[in-house]
Amino acid sequence: MSDHLSPSQLNALADGELPAEQLAAVNEHLSVCPSCTSSALHQSLLKSATAKAGQRYTPPLQLQERMARLVTAGAGELQKKAANPSPSRWRFASLGWATAALLALVFAATTMLQRHRMALQEQAAMATEVFDQHIATLAGSQPPEVVSSDRHTVKPWFQGKIPFSFNLPENLPQGMTLDGANLTYLDNQPVAQLLYSIGKHRVSVFVRRKQDGSGRTASGGLRAGFQVIPFRTRDLAMVAVSDVDPARLGELVSAIQKAQGP
Amino acid sequence: MTLLPWKRRAHDNGPQTHGFADLGLPLLPSLYNVAFWLTRNAADAEDLVQETFLKALRGFDSFETGSNFKAWIFRILRNTYLTSRAGLAARRTVALEELEESALYPEAAIDRETPEMNLIRMSDRAMLQAAMEKLPPPLMEVILLCDVEEMKYREIATVLEVPIGTVMSRINRARAALRSALESGQRAREWGA
Repeated sequence: MSDHLSPSQLNALADGELPAEQLAAVNEHLSVCPSCTSSALHQSLLKSATAKAGQRYTPPLQLQERMARLVTAGAGELQKKAANPSPSRWRFASLGWATAALLALVFAATTMLQRHRMALQEQAAMATEVFDQHIATLAGSQPPEVVSSDRHTVKPWFQGKIPFSFNLPENLPQGMTLDGANLTYLDNQPVAQLLYSIGKHRVSVFVRRKQDGSGRTASGGLRAGFQVIPFRTRDLAMVAVSDVDPARLGELVSAIQKAQGP
Repeated sequence: MTLLPWKRRAHDNGPQTHGFADLGLPLLPSLYNVAFWLTRNAADAEDLVQETFLKALRGFDSFETGSNFKAWIFRILRNTYLTSRAGLAARRTVALEELEESALYPEAAIDRETPEMNLIRMSDRAMLQAAMEKLPPPLMEVILLCDVEEMKYREIATVLEVPIGTVMSRINRARAALRSALESGQRAREWGA
């Protein structure tokens, strides 16, 4: 090897990623090239310095405790599923049917409680995600990705961008206008964010395909002065967010729901 | 062979021998550290880690025992970040940065200065952290996974869902960017002195 080592080779050398056959040639070159030896040393120093500088943030104690509780609660259920059933089944049988029934009842109740608690957490997390996206849209200086009050412009814009379709109301209630729409993501799924105005109040309506029981739904209610209204049609799950009067937001929700057909 | 080994159902290979707690909790400091670097604030980092754990717990049935749990959970963390508000905002600016970064940080920008000088610069942890903060997200995440988490290129490629060649190219550019920022910092310090 007569040429100097390339940056890729120097990096791969520092990262221990050079294949054996290349490593021999590189070492041979380093033994006769002070310039490359200096560069290789530099790369190693940079790597170790970055490793130290990058270890910067430590999780707060309350997060560690919270995650330990979460994991213990969730993992307990998993371990029960994975455990070898034969010895416990032997003991289980010996306790009699009454004890078995009682244990099953307690287990079912605990599982239901855990699932309910997890579902509530997920609904709250989804509501937060939806709320954050609405606030980010209000705060952003960029116009919507598609700017139009024409439903025949907004709806076709999503063709090929989302794996579902939806209808927009032909006639909106008095004082309501369609401003445009964005393509965004919720829970790893592409979502249509429809933007409306009710007077001077801005409204986001997030539209996504309904999941087969596994998709998260947002919890409704008031959040920091903003009304969050989740609603569903046969195939779609939607959430409306705005700081407008809830009754007016309800009118828009009804119009959108009606437009999806029976 | 499959590209996503953990996608094979766990029950195809017998019961899980390690619980989620054994595998997941030791990685909490690493996940939080990377989450903080990506989100740049404590509250968002906590939310990101919690969301990652929830998703990982929910999907643990599909994780194959014996495959790479660390790469699996870091991939969940990254995908969760990408769909978060901060991640979406970062992603909107990434396309431009991807176009420009090769011009900003050419791969051949290996300097040939003395190791002594480099050692002096790199011993300044604050300067290096400031340089890391300036990296665009695709370069920052690759340098965190490679140098801080000590992942192999193949594992990084799995986490980032990109070819190994892309991982190598990003590492080159990330280190060139760090060197460039350290040099600028050093020059500014010398002029200020």
